Amino acid sequence: MTQRNKLPDIVFVGQPNAGKSTLFNAIAGYKAETSNFAGTTVEHTHSKVNFKGNLLNIIDLPGTYTLNPSGEAEKVALRHLFVEKPDLVVNVVDASILGRSLEMTLELIELDYPLVVALNMMDLAEKKGVEIDVEKLKKLLGVPVVPLIATRGRGIKELLDEVVSELGNKRSMLPVKLSKDVEDKVVELEGLIPPDFPVVANKRFTAIKMIETEKLVFNKMLMEINPSLKKNLDKIREELETQHNAPAYEVISAERHHLAFKIFEESCRVTRRKKVGWLERVDDIIMHPLLGYVILLGVFLAFFFVIFKVGNPLEELLLNPLHSLRDYLAFHMEKNLLFYLAEGLIQGIGGGVAIVLPYFIPLLFLMSLLEDVGYLARASFLMDTFMHRIGLHGNSVSPFILGFGCNVPAVISTRILGSRRDRIITSLLIPFVPCSARTTIILALVAFYLGPFWALGFYVFNILLLGAMGRILSFFYRQPSPGLILEIPSIKIPSLKNMAKKTMVQLKAFVKFAWPILIAGSIVLALMQHFQLDKYVNLILSPLVAKALGLPQELGVTLVFGFLRKELSLIMMLQALGVSYQDLMNAITYQQLIVFVVFISFFIPCLSTVAIIWKEIGRKVALLSVCLNTVVAVIISLAIRLILKL
Amino acid sequence: MINLTQAPCDKQLRIVDVQGGHGVRRRLLSLGFHKNHIIELDSRSILRGPILVRDLTSDTSVALGRGIAQKIMVEIVDATE
Repeated sequence: MTQRNKLPDIVFVGQPNAGKSTLFNAIAGYKAETSNFAGTTVEHTHSKVNFKGNLLNIIDLPGTYTLNPSGEAEKVALRHLFVEKPDLVVNVVDASILGRSLEMTLELIELDYPLVVALNMMDLAEKKGVEIDVEKLKKLLGVPVVPLIATRGRGIKELLDEVVSELGNKRSMLPVKLSKDVEDKVVELEGLIPPDFPVVANKRFTAIKMIETEKLVFNKMLMEINPSLKKNLDKIREELETQHNAPAYEVISAERHHLAFKIFEESCRVTRRKKVGWLERVDDIIMHPLLGYVILLGVFLAFFFVIFKVGNPLEELLLNPLHSLRDYLAFHMEKNLLFYLAEGLIQGIGGGVAIVLPYFIPLLFLMSLLEDVGYLARASFLMDTFMHRIGLHGNSVSPFILGFGCNVPAVISTRILGSRRDRIITSLLIPFVPCSARTTIILALVAFYLGPFWALGFYVFNILLLGAMGRILSFFYRQPSPGLILEIPSIKIPSLKNMAKKTMVQLKAFVKFAWPILIAGSIVLALMQHFQLDKYVNLILSPLVAKALGLPQELGVTLVFGFLRKELSLIMMLQALGVSYQDLMNAITYQQLIVFVVFISFFIPCLSTVAIIWKEIGRKVALLSVCLNTVVAVIISLAIRLILKL
Repeated sequence: MINLTQAPCDKQLRIVDVQGGHGVRRRLLSLGFHKNHIIELDSRSILRGPILVRDLTSDTSVALGRGIAQKIMVEIVDATE
């Protein structure tokens, strides 16, 4: 992934909410060659930057609280740090919570890579009454420290200046001095590490991490390659634990903690908070045990209202020329293979550009607004209670919200969840969230023919179903969920520029993944039509479609379309029945319409979603998802058919 | 000594002990839940929801599910101290 004639790799590391991505975006701009997604940076993003003639390869890693891997996102960060050895590390620190943030800075100093500390959110620190003596901090840490305000682009030039000058300046860092007895143990273990041992960064860092990382895979490995070292390690750990009466990792963590707060106290002056700011007063209302829920409901309603108000006219605007193009081709071309290929292509592009994007762009933008303000974390807090009832917790809220736009990025964003169990359950539930493509069907069929209240009812039913499925799934995945541990960042005024950039980055990643699948799927469908395979498909599916669901047999082929592209089944339904949109009710009954919408909405997640679950979570879960959705769709459709018959 | 779910609102609390498995303790530590930190419960949600904890030592807010909150043992800081 990096070129051979390598540019210097500059890695951005920091705790979640320290404003790494904002800083990264401020440096990189739109043209970044990027690869990240959904709310949190879960994969690293990189970008080439030319600063005063110095080409730098800047890499943004997912936020991590420590250099000890626990979550999925953190593992990505650490793998990069340890294996790919960057040329310089920029530690992005939230100045307003300097004490805690410095713990990771100390870990990075132990790592002994060239390091620059970016002291972000200086404005917030000032507001909180934290006065930081940057020179003193520099001296205490022994590394360059640059104060900045990333949201306003302040201090960025100075940071890059420092980065460039540090790159050429190969100096060793002063090791972080631990208290005597702990220090002795670290030195002892350091001496025991044989020269051929695969050290990370340096012997001291490796020794400290060995003491810290209990019960990790690493230990089993060590057991096999070097049993005597393992024995010594266990002895050292035991001695530490008896001396301090606490697990070894806590001893080390406490050391760093005390040191960090000592540095914090020596370099900062905390004046009393001047007064409660209006943002905090807003915060009190948002988090209010009762008003908070009213506001939450309001925010969500406004959220979807805006998305549809923006998306709907945009969709028509984009779809109309494509329709005209298609009609033009249909009129002027013979119905040969070429025509079908062209039609497939137009439909594929149309689906991606005109149906998904109009809803998806406002959704992403509003999501980044909610995230940047700090509301997403608060919504997760408020929703935690409800999520518990379905066996999950608040952290799963943002993947679900994203799912309303498109299930694909929603599945990717499950990486922010701590445990695999939560990821599996959330990913299995996401396909039950009506994405914009399915909403199109619901609006076009249910709202148009039966009225808006039916559509609303359908949505409510959908959400209840989601809850019921969650209950059932968590019954099978019994391992206890670790529960909610979520930092609530302080409320901030968002920057429009940053939101726009974030939206762009996420949009690009979506387009890159989903469009090829959409277009390929549409072409396959067009070919099926050309070779008139639809008849056979109808015949094969007839027992399900005609017998079980009581729908016209011709609708069989629309299910295949529905698998490739959900919203296509709408157009294909009209085509299969040979009627126009206005005349639809002459061809089928209301009961059939409802059964059809229900079935199409719930059966098999679309191809892109299955592909992303496969890629992200695994084959088994992807297959399970297909089966689960299909079974649920059949059962519910049958039930509705029976109920409506009465 | 009481756990966080039993603690009163708007009183300063000192963390005495953090219980639970490795994973949870590690995550709590990395978020700043160290022994002897002074914390405060900020608000509670209805329907037995999560608890919002303000760490006064490191000036951060963290939301904790009830299961996790039960693992954090605290004592009320005496106002006369």
